[in-house]
Amino acid sequence: MGDKAERLVNLTVALLETRRPLTFAEIRRRTGFYAQRDHESGRRMFERDKDDLRRLGVPVVVSDVAFGEELGYRIDRRDYELPDIDLTAEEVTALAIAVHLTGGEGVKLALTKLLARAPDPMPSVPPPPVRVEVAADAVDAVAAAVVTRTALGFRYRAADGTLTDREVDPYAVVQRRGSWYLVARDHGRDALRAFRLDRIQGAPRPFGEAASFTTPPDLDVAAAVSGPELAAVEVELAVDASARWAVESRGGTDTGHKLGDRAVLRVPGIDPARDRAWLLGLAPGATVVAPNEVVEEVNEGLRSVLAAHGAAGVDGREVPS
Amino acid sequence: MSATTDVARMLTLVPWLLERPGATLDEAAAAFAVTPAVIRRDLSHLDFCGLPGLGGGDLFDVSLVGDRIVVSMADELRRPLRPTPHEALRLVLTVDAVADALGGDLPALRSAVDKVRGALGIPEDVADVLEEVTPRALEELRRALRDQRRVRIGYQGRNDERPVDRLVDPWALHVQDGVWYLQGHDLGADGGRTFRLDRIAEVEVLEDQPSVAPPEQLPAPRYAPGPGDLEVDLALLPSARWLEAALQVDHVDEMEDGSARVRLRTEAPRWLARLVLMAGGGATVLAPDELVDQVVELASEALRPQA
Repeated sequence: MGDKAERLVNLTVALLETRRPLTFAEIRRRTGFYAQRDHESGRRMFERDKDDLRRLGVPVVVSDVAFGEELGYRIDRRDYELPDIDLTAEEVTALAIAVHLTGGEGVKLALTKLLARAPDPMPSVPPPPVRVEVAADAVDAVAAAVVTRTALGFRYRAADGTLTDREVDPYAVVQRRGSWYLVARDHGRDALRAFRLDRIQGAPRPFGEAASFTTPPDLDVAAAVSGPELAAVEVELAVDASARWAVESRGGTDTGHKLGDRAVLRVPGIDPARDRAWLLGLAPGATVVAPNEVVEEVNEGLRSVLAAHGAAGVDGREVPS
Repeated sequence: MSATTDVARMLTLVPWLLERPGATLDEAAAAFAVTPAVIRRDLSHLDFCGLPGLGGGDLFDVSLVGDRIVVSMADELRRPLRPTPHEALRLVLTVDAVADALGGDLPALRSAVDKVRGALGIPEDVADVLEEVTPRALEELRRALRDQRRVRIGYQGRNDERPVDRLVDPWALHVQDGVWYLQGHDLGADGGRTFRLDRIAEVEVLEDQPSVAPPEQLPAPRYAPGPGDLEVDLALLPSARWLEAALQVDHVDEMEDGSARVRLRTEAPRWLARLVLMAGGGATVLAPDELVDQVVELASEALRPQA
């Protein structure tokens, strides 16, 4: 009988059932597996099975037995078993619909585990006409470290292109505007940082023990990801009718003033550095008219665009019309 | 399917069946999103599993009468294996994103998400999908879908100078990585169209009922290159490489200094010109010339002194 799936299930049951760690010889005797005539190849087969189980999340614990002469193996039931979750039929139904709306890539089995001992979903609840794509693949590389609170080392490409090696305590993964971030304490800088997962080069490498840090109780992940609030300036823009809604949707209100035939709108809470791209992208339908520093910042950006495209408009020369 | 995938399912199937004596093959297959034949094969394996010794009486008792399954003597596996960190994190992020997207539409989901987070040990400060400013149009469109009403939207497409009125029979809202889309039948274009909510300037819910029902399968709101598209080459300084995520680039050449050359196709040159403006000099159009001209024109016009 050589079926691997059966062997792995039986090994799991044997290691769950035992109260004390079993040596390889005992496992072989009890299960009848790994009894190849060549002892070493039986041993290698067992090691592969053990590693396969661990990849599935089965917590096989290895310890010293027989006064350190041998290794013993067992599974701690408390680490293996998912505790019951007290879910109502409505909640089960809602979870099933939620996973259905996303297509369920990579989460269906996890949901079935959760619901194995819960009530069945209620039939014929129509799903709302909303579909959601999360694309959580990116978090896999750091998931184990975040959940088990293990330090990570990785090479990181900053926004300006520079490469640095970082060692961090990974506190949280967060998605914002379609990008994934790792919020972590940077050991080298001893400060909280947000790292974009798509700028981590290669596979991050865990080091040290699990549960080696605690997440600060006052951690504000939203603030960590949006970066420091450098400034919140009130900006006035002269706005064409066509661009008006875009400025209003950002909180712009009419000042009642006009500049030529363009209305002047006031937008609060603008950070000149962070919102520079937004202001530049409004051109020419909306033009910043105050304050002067922001006008200059935006014009500088526009002149750089012209320079990059070989057009005049720098060094005081005339802008082509 | 690999043996380990089978094992993961079988370790969950046993507690699921212990909880539901007499479940049918079809019910089990539906719960595990596999065919009944796969469940049947799992059962034939589980019939040879059990306590060490493997001496008949110690094995699980698996019986299949007609299409009804009863498993007993399998108390060692009475509870499911904990999800792995990958599975747990993905599940929490997925249901959390849906709860955010649905707003109040599925009230039981909020409390369910809290319980799942608690059971898996993943509180909100460990994994979260941050809710962005909810598009203004969202509430109105939710109402239109709920009440089955046609809508009139003012929509500024990527190539439009200003918002244009469109009549739409709404089919579904779609959130893709934090960006909201409306999918529906555009009466003017007489076809299915996708609209980004952040380009909808205004929404009016009309009294009329929709006349065109959604197709069986709604396509994902992705840009598919067409024959009339413009082929564009861009040079991106490191500071402007965020554009790669905003665009769907076909090809990237990495340069020594961390900058890049990218090639892409677009049906919306006006929108692309605007993105180049946003990069503030960090992005340069290398080709085609008409796009260079468009960028220069936009920037020059914006720099012209105000009246």
